[in-house]
Amino acid sequence: MFRRLFNSQQTGLVLVILLLGAVLTIFAGSHPDRLTGKPINNFLNSYTLMQTATDASFFAIMAVGATLVIISGGIDLSVGSIYALAGVTMALVLRRFAVDSVWLAAGICVGIGLASGLVNGLMVTGLKVHPFIITLGTMWVLRGVAFVTSQAESILVPDALTEVAKANLGLGAALYPVPMLLMLVVTAVGAVYLSRSVPGRYVYAVGCNVNAARYSGLNVNRILIGVYVLSGLTAGIAAFIGTSYYGSASCADATGYELYVIASAVVGGASLSGGKGSAINAMLGAVLIVLIRVAIRQLRFDQNYEWIIIGCAIIIAVVLDQASARLATRRLTSGGKS
Amino acid sequence: MKKWIAVMCCLATVAFGAEKKSYKIAMIAKSSTNPVFLSARTGAEAAAKDLSQKLGVEIVIDWRTPPTEDGQVQAQRLAQAVNEGVDAVLVSCSDAGKITGAINDAVARGVPVMTFDSDAPQSKRFAFYGVDDMATGEQTMAELAKQLDGKGNVAILAGNQNAPNLRKRVDGVKKEAAKHPGIKIVGVFNHIETPQDAAAEVLRVMRAYPEVNAWAMIGGWPLFTKTLLTDLDPNKVKIVSVDALPAELPYIAKGIAPVLLAQSTYLWGYVSVERIVDKIVLKKEVPVVNKMELVRVSKENLGAWARQLKAWGFTDVPEEYLKLP
Repeated sequence: MFRRLFNSQQTGLVLVILLLGAVLTIFAGSHPDRLTGKPINNFLNSYTLMQTATDASFFAIMAVGATLVIISGGIDLSVGSIYALAGVTMALVLRRFAVDSVWLAAGICVGIGLASGLVNGLMVTGLKVHPFIITLGTMWVLRGVAFVTSQAESILVPDALTEVAKANLGLGAALYPVPMLLMLVVTAVGAVYLSRSVPGRYVYAVGCNVNAARYSGLNVNRILIGVYVLSGLTAGIAAFIGTSYYGSASCADATGYELYVIASAVVGGASLSGGKGSAINAMLGAVLIVLIRVAIRQLRFDQNYEWIIIGCAIIIAVVLDQASARLATRRLTSGGKS
Repeated sequence: MKKWIAVMCCLATVAFGAEKKSYKIAMIAKSSTNPVFLSARTGAEAAAKDLSQKLGVEIVIDWRTPPTEDGQVQAQRLAQAVNEGVDAVLVSCSDAGKITGAINDAVARGVPVMTFDSDAPQSKRFAFYGVDDMATGEQTMAELAKQLDGKGNVAILAGNQNAPNLRKRVDGVKKEAAKHPGIKIVGVFNHIETPQDAAAEVLRVMRAYPEVNAWAMIGGWPLFTKTLLTDLDPNKVKIVSVDALPAELPYIAKGIAPVLLAQSTYLWGYVSVERIVDKIVLKKEVPVVNKMELVRVSKENLGAWARQLKAWGFTDVPEEYLKLP
């Protein structure tokens, strides 16, 4: 059991995160508390830890949905644009009707996310065009719709939404756990769906071998439409919490985030050829990427190197993962022979 | 163990009671790939050095500008800076709506925030330093109208559509244009704020709207490239632009941009750091709005402006302009 635990990829990711956290705790230095004058570790303090989790949560929520798509053998490049369109639509509707209903706001974001995902899924399965091309197209189309509808304005959302997204839940001032909690809930639901539900296992089946899945009687098109709908749903949820947290929506929101989302899934071990991936690992991947960004600043690296460092970290993570998978396969093979 | 605790308590008491000798100011501009913000950083670091010597304290600039414009990332970096114990924050807002919450959180935790270049007026920042954007737009159009003798088809190059300061400048250009019946605004053109994207947008517009004979540029993005020096005919097209950094000076010399309205971007950093130090070290009252005046740069004062840029630490000022009277 311990050996299995030690070999699992999740454990590996957790260990890397803990190791990086330990390095940051030791080397990031400290600063005096503004009120008491006592030294506070720059990394190991509740504010920085919560901030890191919050920053990761917007990517991580989307990464759970994107992981479903990747497991099915597809890709969704439109999640950042769905985020922008959902946020802008929500803000415009709330402003137009002068309402501040949190449920209406959440419903709009989720609705836009589901509808966008459905369009992606229908086009991927109906037009038989590679999802990279379809979602590349919808990435531009959806952002363009957000641009046209918002007139490129940055639209403020009602305070009621920000109060929900930034509720401190009794933790104290300037500690806002809601995005992190939502991330954990979405990840848990995603993990249960993928590992404990029949539709979740179908996604792996389609991703492993689409023809075998089809000959086994699975409705492949329906499964594929489902994963794009779920990816859109998570983008809508992320848009709701992100827009509410930051208090405004604009058509430029989440520009380029699709790459961080895909990177989170891949660092979490998802295979771009399909059939492999996990919701929990995607979340851990997002946390790791954000932690690397935090480390660049806290360890006083020249921040102009951020892209280089993150790019290298992604390549190293994937190469190590593949090497470990090959090693495991070799062990299994040699074990079988003996 | 008890001894150690006692020593730690003594150290903490000494630290708490002692006068603060070191101040860290986080600086978050819009984009670290935009040269105007690099000159603002140079100014901020120069002010930190000068004031450190003058006041006998250590003032450090902690540069935390994202590589590309993103209001959300700015808000995250501001929060991180506060978590790491900076003493003040200086920020130019890519999206005021996105960053207002983070500014208010910082202020609530005792960290004063100042804005420069692009303000967040609804936030609890203690001061802003920059040009009056409406007036800047008006001045840009007024100078262009003079160049055109009050008649022409003008395109407005407008940068990032989400930046509130740029939107105000566009409004200023339109307001001034309305005073000149012979001037027609052909369109407002937004683009990614990189020199190449901006230059490409200008050329695209020139092909799509051949009647355009003047550009009101509320930022000088395309003039950081050499493309328009060869692709625009100074006899057919005139430009008046905000900003006058070294790479843009050949446009004055060649007559394509007879007037550039310089923001003293170096002073964004220098003056803002002075104001912050006034507030947090010297405990002085600081005006909420600190207005920056534009400098009109034309062939008449090109040499003097080039030497001013050199004095501010710009290393790429063309030698030929430094020699001008």
